Amino acid sequence: MNTRFDMMLPRRHTILGGVALAAGAAAPAHAQLTIDMTRPSFEPVPIAIVDFKGDKVGADIAGVVRNDLQNSGLFRSISPSAFIQQNIDPNAPPRFQDWRSIGAAGVVVGQVAQAGGNIKVDFRLWDVVAGSQATGLSFTSQPNNWRRLAHIIADAIYKRVTGEEGYFDTRVAYVSETGPLSARVKRIAIMDQDGANNRYITDGRTIALTPRFSPTLQEIVYMAYGENNGQPRVYLQSVDSGRRELLGNFPGMSFAPRFSPDGTKVVMSISADGNSDIYEMDVRGRALRRLTNTPAIDTSPCYSNDGTQIVFNSDRGGSQQLYVMSASGGNERRISFGQGRYATPVWSPRGDHIAFTKISGGTFGIGVMRTDGSGERMLASGFLVEGPTWAPNGRVLMFFRQQPNSGGRAGSVTLHQIDITGRFERQVPTPTDASDPAWSPLIPQ
Amino acid sequence: MRMIKALAAIAATIFMAACSDQQAAAPATTTVTPGSVADFRQNVGDRVFFDTDKSNIREDARTTLGRQAEWLKKYPNYQITIEGHCDERGTREYNLALGERRANAARQYLVAQGVPAARLKTISYGKERPDPVGSDEAAWARNRRAVTALQ
Amino acid sequence: MKQLQFRFLIIIALALPSAAAAQRLDPVHVEDRFNQLQQSITVLTGQIEQLQYRNQQLQQQLEKMQADYEFRLEQLEKGGSRAGTAPAARPRTPAAAHGNADQAYHDAFKKLQDGDYAGAENGFKTFLQRFPQHALAGNAQYWLGETFYARRDYNNAMTAFAEGYKAYKSSPKGPDNLLKLGITLANLGRKPDACAIFARFKQDYPRATDLQKRRIEQERQKDGCS
Repeated sequence: MNTRFDMMLPRRHTILGGVALAAGAAAPAHAQLTIDMTRPSFEPVPIAIVDFKGDKVGADIAGVVRNDLQNSGLFRSISPSAFIQQNIDPNAPPRFQDWRSIGAAGVVVGQVAQAGGNIKVDFRLWDVVAGSQATGLSFTSQPNNWRRLAHIIADAIYKRVTGEEGYFDTRVAYVSETGPLSARVKRIAIMDQDGANNRYITDGRTIALTPRFSPTLQEIVYMAYGENNGQPRVYLQSVDSGRRELLGNFPGMSFAPRFSPDGTKVVMSISADGNSDIYEMDVRGRALRRLTNTPAIDTSPCYSNDGTQIVFNSDRGGSQQLYVMSASGGNERRISFGQGRYATPVWSPRGDHIAFTKISGGTFGIGVMRTDGSGERMLASGFLVEGPTWAPNGRVLMFFRQQPNSGGRAGSVTLHQIDITGRFERQVPTPTDASDPAWSPLIPQ
Repeated sequence: MRMIKALAAIAATIFMAACSDQQAAAPATTTVTPGSVADFRQNVGDRVFFDTDKSNIREDARTTLGRQAEWLKKYPNYQITIEGHCDERGTREYNLALGERRANAARQYLVAQGVPAARLKTISYGKERPDPVGSDEAAWARNRRAVTALQ
Repeated sequence: MKQLQFRFLIIIALALPSAAAAQRLDPVHVEDRFNQLQQSITVLTGQIEQLQYRNQQLQQQLEKMQADYEFRLEQLEKGGSRAGTAPAARPRTPAAAHGNADQAYHDAFKKLQDGDYAGAENGFKTFLQRFPQHALAGNAQYWLGETFYARRDYNNAMTAFAEGYKAYKSSPKGPDNLLKLGITLANLGRKPDACAIFARFKQDYPRATDLQKRRIEQERQKDGCS
């Protein structure tokens, strides 16, 4: 049994009673502890995260929380060396004046306690401007789960301040790339959203590409070549046990798999006589249904968040464009009409946008549009950027960047995240070159 | 009728002219065992090239594939896998499909030239196996290819 | 287009009986011809998609213009001195109390004018939830219907216009609302229902403008109402 997925804790997270403190003197014109993310520009919220008391893992937890919030671009973590109030009591209000004077809008304090083989972690977020507790939660878990606890705490803070769901307690599956390009080794790996707990899911003997999570995170689907130059086919693999099954058991190539939002179906492309069409497979019964039937390339299908529609790309009109159809096939309509080729559409978990790769005038871009194709906006561009994937809150995207090859040597390939308005692009650290990121839903608690 | 024939002839000439300005894998003469894999690669040419985002067989590729068909018919013991490849200027999944389409176009051409279909398999590598490695137009042109591999 | 004609020529050439009886039997040429035809179809498919898209854009623009034009005529007929852009026709409300509401209405209307129908739909819905009693609520309900109508989502348009007729019968937009309800029903193929709706017009809105009355008469004739 892999303990990493065996979380007993957050089922029982209990909200501490809010400590109702009357707001002190009139709030100074200070940084507010809220962000209106719909505004075109805002200052990151300055926040002080104090090392949690009670156990030495407390400092590690605070470190992970600082890193998560800082990386979101929406927060500025104030360096602990600037803190005035030391030895803060995690159960009592902090000296707000001390925190105001270093410009903090919020202070996070917490403590760790041993609880019969488990650890109990609680934290409070204090609103420095209002002089009151903004939120507070308590969790119990196995000690080796401390990183997840830290991410859950960061999510709670993010939610309290931005009003949006957090995305820190998530994982990312990707393709790890090593070796020379002519004999590149491509393996599927999974890591936490912040790069920790990296591990490999395939052994690298054959090329494996395009991993995607099931909604429970217990399985992934991906495409891999067979042994001895065998056909590329779609596989379903249990993340914990590593047991893998062939889903795409057809004479031709099967590729571009993706789960339906309820996890009961996988949609993929299957090619026959050089022509690729889109099929839906029932995961349990393995019944196959054909959804498109054109002499063109129909691929990169992705379900809408409610599972009723599928967006995909097709070159039926002479160049790669985006189309939407009913999830049961039919009613196909083109939605992209800009200059260039459009590819790899992914439907936002919120249902309001579709992100895509666009190739235009020799450069690649990552963009978003409304689901009817209107309101196109480009977020990032470069020599080669490809394959956007959504964070579960639909506010942040991850994609990969490849630098040009030169002198027979491969350019670097790296993962990047960016927010939906095109701000705060940052490289996501990976142990090797990395491509094809797939962001998981929030880990079920 | 005569005029239409003339028109057709003109059209065909234009068509050939439009398509024949691409490089062909020129056969070279070296001392290799006739009927060996090396013979096939060096004296016949094991690969043909495609235009950007296209999978139609170019005029230069017809010559190469014609030679391949003759050779393959002469040496019927080989099983053949045609690998379809793309340059890196496309997205991964689409390129897998495009590589498959290219491999299939080459396969169809060989079958039409009399190579038994049962000997010919296809596989797509999309943009996963560049040869040569490079990020300029010359490298990309060589990467948009179908390679006839013998087993 | 030139390319297409050129391909067409090639196909004719290949199809000529005397031009190439031998060629026709040659599988390579059959394959070629098949590929060329397929490519032509692809090009045509792309062109049709583009044309449909442009047509749809034009239709949306036209409907927007028509709404604006009808509004202006209506204002003129009323002898309105406030003729201007469409949303200016808001009845007076105590501005201070409704500052937020006016802004919300205006924002939603702006989206409608910009062709952001989904955005406008959300805007009007939110407005109606928050300010169901506002003097502009009847207008908002009507324009909510228009956001669906413009997208040819006649089922939702019908629901919205019907709701408008029920809840805001005496709103300044009441007559337009009823007219559009009838037109929407006709679009849904429910002509008897449409006729029944048009029949109520005279009784419900005896003081409707001449333009509105004319429109009703036109629609009644179009739908063959008795």
